[in-house]
Amino acid sequence: MTAPVLAVEDLRVQLRTPRGTAHVVNGLDYTVGPGETVAVVGESGSGKSVSVLALMGLLPARTATVTGRALLQGEDLLAMSPDRLRQVRGPGIGMVFQDPMTSLNPVLTVGRQLVEGIRAHQQVTRQAARARAVELLAEVGLPDPQRAVDRYPHELSGGMRQRVVIAIALSNSPALLVADEATTALDVTVQAQIIDLVERLQSEHGTGVVWITHDLGVVAGIADRVLVMYGGRCVEDGTVDDVLERPAHPYTRGLLGALPDLAEPLSDGRRPDLATIPGVPPPPTDLPAGCVFWPRCPVRGDARCETEQPPLAFVESLSRATGSSLPHRAATWCGEGAR
Amino acid sequence: MTQLPTPGANPAEPPPAEPIPPSRPARPRWRETLGLLARNPTAAVSAVVLVLIVLVALFDETLAPDGPNDQDQSIALQPPSWSHPFGTDEFGRDILSRVVLGAGTSLRVGFLSVAFALVVGTLIGLLAGFYGKWVDDVLMRLMDMLFAFPAVLLAIAVVAIRGTGPANAILAIGIVYVPIFARVTRASVLGVREEVYVRASRSIGASDFRLLTRHVLPNAAPPIIVQTSISLAFAVLAEAALSFLGLGPRRPNPSWGLMLADGRGFIEQAWWYSVFPGLAIVLTVLCFNLLGDGLRDVLDPRQRTLTAGSGR
Amino acid sequence: MEQYFRWAGNAVTGDLGVSFRSGETVTSLIAERLPATLTLAVAALVVALLIALPLGMLSALHPRSLVDRFATVVSQLGISVPDFWLSIMLILIFAGTLGWLPSGGYVPLTEDPWGWFQRLILPAVATGVVSGSVITRFVRSSMLEALGSDHVRTAEAKGLPTRQVLSWHVLRNALLPLVTVTGVQLAYLLSGVVVVEIVFSWPGLGQLALQAVRDRDFPVLQGAVLLFALVFLVINLLVDLLYSRIDPRISRR
Repeated sequence: MTAPVLAVEDLRVQLRTPRGTAHVVNGLDYTVGPGETVAVVGESGSGKSVSVLALMGLLPARTATVTGRALLQGEDLLAMSPDRLRQVRGPGIGMVFQDPMTSLNPVLTVGRQLVEGIRAHQQVTRQAARARAVELLAEVGLPDPQRAVDRYPHELSGGMRQRVVIAIALSNSPALLVADEATTALDVTVQAQIIDLVERLQSEHGTGVVWITHDLGVVAGIADRVLVMYGGRCVEDGTVDDVLERPAHPYTRGLLGALPDLAEPLSDGRRPDLATIPGVPPPPTDLPAGCVFWPRCPVRGDARCETEQPPLAFVESLSRATGSSLPHRAATWCGEGAR
Repeated sequence: MTQLPTPGANPAEPPPAEPIPPSRPARPRWRETLGLLARNPTAAVSAVVLVLIVLVALFDETLAPDGPNDQDQSIALQPPSWSHPFGTDEFGRDILSRVVLGAGTSLRVGFLSVAFALVVGTLIGLLAGFYGKWVDDVLMRLMDMLFAFPAVLLAIAVVAIRGTGPANAILAIGIVYVPIFARVTRASVLGVREEVYVRASRSIGASDFRLLTRHVLPNAAPPIIVQTSISLAFAVLAEAALSFLGLGPRRPNPSWGLMLADGRGFIEQAWWYSVFPGLAIVLTVLCFNLLGDGLRDVLDPRQRTLTAGSGR
Repeated sequence: MEQYFRWAGNAVTGDLGVSFRSGETVTSLIAERLPATLTLAVAALVVALLIALPLGMLSALHPRSLVDRFATVVSQLGISVPDFWLSIMLILIFAGTLGWLPSGGYVPLTEDPWGWFQRLILPAVATGVVSGSVITRFVRSSMLEALGSDHVRTAEAKGLPTRQVLSWHVLRNALLPLVTVTGVQLAYLLSGVVVVEIVFSWPGLGQLALQAVRDRDFPVLQGAVLLFALVFLVINLLVDLLYSRIDPRISRR
C-alpha cells in the first residue's frame, strides 16, 4: 500500500462562541491515498466544513482551538509555522469552496487571481504565469481562455466561475484537493460537468480528493470511500459500496431513507414526501453524553446508547466478502454482532 | 450476525415530518427586545441615563436649585463651587440651574422635530413603497431633492423664510429628517410587500389600510425605531447649532446652544460657562446614539448575526 | 412666483442678483468667500481621513483589542460632540491655556503661509473629527466585512503572503466604497463648516449665509443655498463617475 497523501489523526476543533464552547469536531481519523476520493457526508452543522478549514489553518485563530495531527505527505499541518503553512496552501492542498458567486474577488480579473496564486509559489515571470493561467482555464474547460483571463468574475456564469476556482486550486498541482460543497450551489447539469472535470483531472494528476457534501447522489458518483459525520464525530466509514449498500449506523440509514425516490411518483402524480429524520442535530455547545445520535435515533436498541459513547467498530463488509481489506466501521451499539 | 436492513427500508416507521411553521409576520416581540436590550450594558445604561434626562426636563422647575433668571451681579462669573457646582454666568445666574432648565428646550425641540419627521417621512415612505409606480417616483424624487440640500443650510433657509423661534426650529430640523425616514420606511416596505403573508392577506380581500397597518407597518418598524433614536441624537445637535447661531429660542430662555453662544464671549475668564452646557449636549446625544446602536443590534437580524456569529 | 422664475432664469447664466444690504452682486460676494470655505472643507477632510484610515483599519484587524475599543469610544464621542462646542474647547485649550495657536481669523496663503496654516489647524480639526468618526466606523465595518468574505478565504487558501492578501483582497475591496462615503462627507463638510466658521471668524460662505439670514438679505441667502446644493450634486456626480471607473462591476465596456 502506498503512503497516504493525507492522514488525519484524532482531529478536534473547538470554537469559542457567545453561547459557550462549541465542540465542532470531536476526534476524526481518516486517510486519503493518492488518486483516491474520500467523501465526507453529513447534515449542515455536522462539522464537516470546519474539519477541513482546520486542516488549512483557515479558522479564526482567536476563537478556534485545533488539536490532533494531520499529516500531509508526512508533515503535520497543525504543527506548521504560519509561513510553512502558507507554502503548503497551493502546492500541498488546493481548495474549492461552496459558492462560486462569492469565492472570487469581484474587482480583480480572473487572470490576475490565477497569476498571483502561481507566482506566490513558483519563480516565473508574469508572462509565463499568464500563459500558464490560460492553459489552466483551457484545462478546466472554459471556452475561449485567451479572452477569459481578462474577464471579471461577474462576467461569467456560476458554473464557469466554479471552473475558475478549480483552476486556481489546481494551479500549483496540489497533492490534495479539498472540495467543500463544491457543486451544491450549481444546477444539476453543471454539477455533473464539474464532477466529471474533477475526476478527469484527478486521474491525470493522481491527486487525492476530499469531497465534502450533503448530497448522497454526488457521493455515489464520485467517492471511493465515504465518511459519515454527525455531531462532529465520524459515525460510519467504509467503501462507497459498503456504506451505501450496507449502512450500519441508524443515522446513515436515515440519510439514505431521506433520499427522495424521484423514480416513483405516487399514483396521483405527486412525489412522495421526503422522509426526514425527525429533530435537528445537537448544538455543538451541548452534545449528548452517549451516542451523539441518540436523541433522534429511531432504534435505541441498547441500554448504553444514552450513557456511553459507542466506539468506531468493524461491521460487515461487502469488500471483505470479495477478499479486499478495506474496512467498514460504524460507531453504534446496534450493529454489535457484526464483528 | 445481526441482520442488517437493506438501504431505503427504514428500520422503524417513517418518522413524522416536522410541522412546518406557518409563514407569519415576524413582529418585533417587545418583551424579548427589552430583554436583549437589558443584556447590552451600553444600551441599557444609555436608556437609563436618557430616562433620567427626561425626568430632569419634566421636573426642571423643582430640580433646579435656582430660578433660570435669578440674577445677582455680586456673584457674576464665579468658578464652580459647592453653592454653584457649575459656576455662574455674567449676570450671576446659576449655570447648573440653567443647564437643567435648558434640557426641556433641547428635548422638546428634539422630540417634536423627530416626531414631525417620523410621521411625515414614514407616511411618504409607506405610500411610495406600497403603491410603487408613479407614486413612488414622484415622492422619492421629491425626497431626493430635499436630501440634496445640506442639513444645516436647509434648516437655516427654513428659519430665514419663516423667522426665528422654537416652532420654526422644530419645522426646520424636522424637514431635514423627513427624507431619511421616507427612505428607511420605503426600503423595509419593499422588503415585506412581496412576502407570502402580505400577498395572502391581499388575496383574501383585505383593505389597503388593513394591510398597511396590520402587516406592512409592524414589519417595517424595526429600522424605523433604530432611525428614530439616531435621529433624536442629531436633532438635539441641530437644535443646539441653531440656538448657537441665534436662530432658535430667544433669550433669556435657557437653551444649551444659546448658553454656549453667550459663554463664548467669556472664554478667557470663565471656562465653566462653555464647558458644562456642552457636556450636557454631548451626554444627551451620546446616549441617543448608543441606544440607537443597541437597538440596531437587537432589532436588525443581519447585524445580530454579524456580531454573534463571528466565530464561524 | 414669476419673480422666482426670473431669478432662476438669471441664475443659470451666473447672475444671482444684487445684495439688498451691500449692493454688491451676489456672484461676486460668493466668489470672494468660496475659496476660504473650500480650503477649510478640504483640510477638514484630510484631518478626517488621517484619523479614520489608520484607526478604522487597526480596529478591524484587531477586533475587540485595546485599539478597537479606543476607536469605538473615540468615534462614538466624535459623532456626539457638536462641532461648534469642540471648536470652543479647542480654542480654550490650544489658544487659551497653552497659547500655541491663534484663536481665529484668516490670512491668505499667499501673504503668510505659516500664519495661514496655524489658523487652519483648529477649525480643520474641529470639523474633521466628526467626519473622521463617521468614516472610522465605516472603514472598520467595511474592512471586517471584507476580512470575512469568501474571496479572502480563497486568497488565503492560495497561499498568498499575508501582506498581499491584505492589500489586494481586503483593503482594495474595503476601500472602494470609501470613495462614495468620502464624497458624501466632503459635501457635508462644506455645509458643516458653516457653524465652525462663525466660531473661528473664518471669512467663508457660512458667515456670509448667517449674516444674510440676520439681515433678511434674501438674494445672498438664495445664492448661497443654491451654490451648496450645486456643490452637493456635483460632488455626487463626480463620485459616481469615479466609482464606475474603479469598480469593474459597474463599468460597462
